[in-house]
Amino acid sequence: MDTASHLLLMTLFAGCVAVVGGVLLKDTPRQQARSAAEIFGSLVGAALLLGWVLYFLPL
Amino acid sequence: MAARPSSKRPARPAAPAPAGSPSARPLALVYVLGWLIPGGGHLWLGRTAKGAVFLVVLPLMFVIGLALEGRLFPFTPGEPLVALAAIANIGSGLPYFIAQAMGVGAGRAVAVTYEYGNAFLITAGLLNALVIIDAHDIALGRR
Repeated sequence: MDTASHLLLMTLFAGCVAVVGGVLLKDTPRQQARSAAEIFGSLVGAALLLGWVLYFLPL
Repeated sequence: MAARPSSKRPARPAAPAPAGSPSARPLALVYVLGWLIPGGGHLWLGRTAKGAVFLVVLPLMFVIGLALEGRLFPFTPGEPLVALAAIANIGSGLPYFIAQAMGVGAGRAVAVTYEYGNAFLITAGLLNALVIIDAHDIALGRR
């Protein structure tokens, strides 16, 4: 897994969590897909946002 | 005169319990199946599509975690965070015991992907706990 990038792994993680979360939360396939997309977008979006915020912080 | 129905009926496949009606299946079996086989509780309750998704995704997350050189933490009560991680790992059920039997999951703390591996392994176990709770709700007719 030396070729795996942080972004790829984060996206993969978000995808897995989103699929399970979406299927858990909703009952119809359409609702599940929508919910999974929302969870995926939230996770990746929040990670990118936090990444940029931390980029400007001298930690 | 109407013919009497035969007492010997052909076996039918398990039909999913409709939402709102409790399942006649024993709850303990739903918990144990759901824990050992991710999605097993849903499959047992007839929620095949949901169960199949969990059956694929959760073990996949577990395997990815191992491939990323994550660690299956030992249960050490003296170290609370390690103990919590161990409980989360055990939540994965059979994949955890298979990995232990195969001697994988030692983890390599210096690997770049170590923390990602732990995140995958721990999250797989915790999500399986949520899946078991969902199966519990379905068995009680709440969903």
